[in-house]
Amino acid sequence: MTDQPSRQHPIRIYLIVWGLLFLVSALSYMTDFIDRGLWRWALILLFMALKAGFIVAVFMHMRWERLALMAVVLAPPVLLLVLVGLMAVESDYTRSVRFEYFVEGERDEALPVSAGNKRN
Amino acid sequence: MTEIEAPYQETMDVPHPRSWITRYWFSQDHKVIAVQYGVTAIAVGLVALVLSGLMRIQIGFPGLLPFITPDIYYQAVTMHGMIMVIFLLTAFLLGAFGNFCIPLMLGARDMVFPFVNMLSYHVYLLSVVVLMASYFVPGGPTGAGWTLYPPQAILPGTPGVDWGIVAMLLSLIIFVVAFTMGGLNYVTTILQARTRGMTLMRMPLTVWGILMATVLGLLAFPALFVSAVMMLLDKLVGTSFFMPAIVSFGQPLEYSGGSPLLFQHLFWFFGHPEVYIVALPAFGVVSELISVHSRKNIFGYRMMVWALVAIGALSFVVWAHHMYVAGMHPYFGFFFATTTLIIAVPTAIKVYNWVLTLWKANIKLTVPMLFALAFILTFVVGGLSGLFLGNVIIDVPLSDTYFVVAHFHMVMGVAPILVIFGGIYHWYPKLTGRMLNNALGQLHFWVTFLGTYAIYYPMHYLGFIGVPRRYYANGVESDFYPASAVTLNEFITVAALVVGLMQFVFVYNLIVSYFRGKQAGPNPWDATTLEWQTPQTPPDHGNWGGTLPTVHRWAYDYSVPGEEQDFVPQNVEPRS
Amino acid sequence: MMPTADVERKSAHGSSGASPLVTSFSDDWGSDISTFKGVRWGKAMMWVFLLSDTFIFTCFLVGYMAVRMSTVEPWPNPSEVFALQAFGISVPLLLIAIMTFILISSSGTMAMAVNMGYRRRKEAATYLILVTALLGAMFVGMQVFEWSKLILDEGVRPWSNPFGAPQFGAVFFMVTGFHGLHVSAGVVYLLTIAFRIRRGKYDESNFEIVEITGLYWHFVDLVWVFIFALFYLW
Repeated sequence: MTDQPSRQHPIRIYLIVWGLLFLVSALSYMTDFIDRGLWRWALILLFMALKAGFIVAVFMHMRWERLALMAVVLAPPVLLLVLVGLMAVESDYTRSVRFEYFVEGERDEALPVSAGNKRN
Repeated sequence: MTEIEAPYQETMDVPHPRSWITRYWFSQDHKVIAVQYGVTAIAVGLVALVLSGLMRIQIGFPGLLPFITPDIYYQAVTMHGMIMVIFLLTAFLLGAFGNFCIPLMLGARDMVFPFVNMLSYHVYLLSVVVLMASYFVPGGPTGAGWTLYPPQAILPGTPGVDWGIVAMLLSLIIFVVAFTMGGLNYVTTILQARTRGMTLMRMPLTVWGILMATVLGLLAFPALFVSAVMMLLDKLVGTSFFMPAIVSFGQPLEYSGGSPLLFQHLFWFFGHPEVYIVALPAFGVVSELISVHSRKNIFGYRMMVWALVAIGALSFVVWAHHMYVAGMHPYFGFFFATTTLIIAVPTAIKVYNWVLTLWKANIKLTVPMLFALAFILTFVVGGLSGLFLGNVIIDVPLSDTYFVVAHFHMVMGVAPILVIFGGIYHWYPKLTGRMLNNALGQLHFWVTFLGTYAIYYPMHYLGFIGVPRRYYANGVESDFYPASAVTLNEFITVAALVVGLMQFVFVYNLIVSYFRGKQAGPNPWDATTLEWQTPQTPPDHGNWGGTLPTVHRWAYDYSVPGEEQDFVPQNVEPRS
Repeated sequence: MMPTADVERKSAHGSSGASPLVTSFSDDWGSDISTFKGVRWGKAMMWVFLLSDTFIFTCFLVGYMAVRMSTVEPWPNPSEVFALQAFGISVPLLLIAIMTFILISSSGTMAMAVNMGYRRRKEAATYLILVTALLGAMFVGMQVFEWSKLILDEGVRPWSNPFGAPQFGAVFFMVTGFHGLHVSAGVVYLLTIAFRIRRGKYDESNFEIVEITGLYWHFVDLVWVFIFALFYLW
């Protein structure tokens, strides 16, 4: 089976990616100290995508698999993006309707409260 | 790279059972498992059939059977729907046809993991038992409708709110586990365990239909699983995923903040692919039946395959056409109506190809062929009414009326059931070595076909005039409910009862022909696909004897000019 | 269009001018016997199972997103809810950071175990799998500690909590519960495979089973990456 992708990579690549995962995780953790806003969310998503990419491509070996297998695994989750996108729009709409009909006062951002505060 | 890959199944060790228990109850042979699925699905389907009889009696002749209270009625509505869609249609088309046909049509000895296959059946059986158990729990089964919409599904006022809904949700969760196990087997077998010469584009369309349906199921059932888990948590633990702040029987409840629409989105994200999980194997089997019984290759095989793939992919982006009047975001209707109309295109292409296959063909009006033809007619009728419902504005007055009931029964309840019957008449000789009785088959066909038309075709009229679905107090003439509707309900009920009784004749045929049916021989229909070329009929354990077959041609070499016979089996070598 | 000739045995490198990647893609899909060349059944099946499981976790997270975005009540701040007291100061998300560190470590040891397996170094592979299982068990233990802290000390319940929107507890328990179940099942799976390797059950094979097990374990880590980002950090 000579066209089989080589399984025996030097250990080095795994150690490098392992180290990178620690690094990116530390960076993700740091985002906790940034104020909520576009920057924070963009960085959270970026680091999440990087880590996911490393794990799938290297640890799960996808980078060396044949394109057929890659396509079968990576294509269907695109459908999930449709679900995620539409549900985000729907949830936002639900919230708007609630503020319009059920809640007194203005619509705010869903700012998190500090632990220990009672619900208003 | 010159080494020729050998089918691993050549050296595969099929388990050889010794005792009755390992041979029949815990069998790992795909043919036995197929029969297990089939028998269980038919048994539970007969229960659902009786429930539909009760419903129709209440609609057509209210008060005739006083024990049918509103609670009983709604429980029947719910159980009938859920059993038919999930536990009969999905289980039969995939569990029975899938298990039987896939290894045989691909030249394999069995599925890639026979043990997991066996487990999948027993977990399915468990899910059926749990569902039936809801008849024995306090309060009885849930009456929330097969769609189980919250908040009503878990609030008092709906039957079965204490235990029935829990049994239902648990049963669905268990079914998803069973389906996943079976589905993994199917996909892996089809993609990785074909015999020599069997490329994907030489597979019969039955296998393609089942493959696409399985993929759909593996990707769609998770959404049902998640909805069921979240609703169970809402019911048992008091979470508020789907439950808004709500007052029930004068008492404000503890819930707050949840969204019933979220359930609907998740449910239909599963629910729409589900109807294609039922339809796609039916499409595949119909292509088979039409080709074999008209002695002509399927027209446009390649397009048929691509149409199956396109329908499968598109089926994931049409779900909210079930929600046009639900109160979702106002602009969603545009998006979903567009995708819904687009998905009609590949479906129509398939219909054209079936018709073109029949054109100038040598049609044999055998019982399987009759069922296949009836499928085309009823599916087209049902599909056309779907075009009405797919458009948002027209859907507004038609939603939740009998128009919808007529539509989905035509496309789900009549057409695929006709295919199941046709497939059983077609493959019974391979499974048992005997033919089903032809006279009974003809009787079964004509009464079922004409009868179901009599039931559902006029039902569209009821929908037009606005008769709502899921109403207990039907059939009582009033200002709102005209005399024509009352009369029509009576007519439909009588037709339904006749059709229902005829299915028992079919079951009788199944049983008696096993012992007294005409001997069939290995290939009574002169078909080309591999399952008819097995050395023994019924096929032995391991299917092929010592050597796996080698495939040299596609699955549809019928009436090939220059050939002696009007068919050339797939494993016949090309003339050099 | 009736192909009656035998399938040509195409080489993996193709004969047309297209790039090898594209040619191998069409060759794979056009070939007989199997589509994923060189992929044994167990591995193909595991990938498809993981694909299905991805859909399950995504639907859970979509549910989380929907309730968080649609509720009118403020959502609790996870940094503070999951803070731990260390050396007199409140360190946000400390436990979660440690749990992430442990799970990534376990992924690393798993990757090395796979590598050892393919080099046929049974002892090393077994040892590394056991370390992975141990790290996984530690992760579950910490998750249990987190649950008990929230339930017993902070009064977080699936139906309400003192910090904000009532769905916070529901989502937390449901999502981490399912993830924890997967990790626990994974630990059992790892132990089973480790003992089977030791007993010599896979001596005839090329130890692909370790890679298959590794796929599952990396998936569990992958899900945690998403949960960590979307639930704890967001």
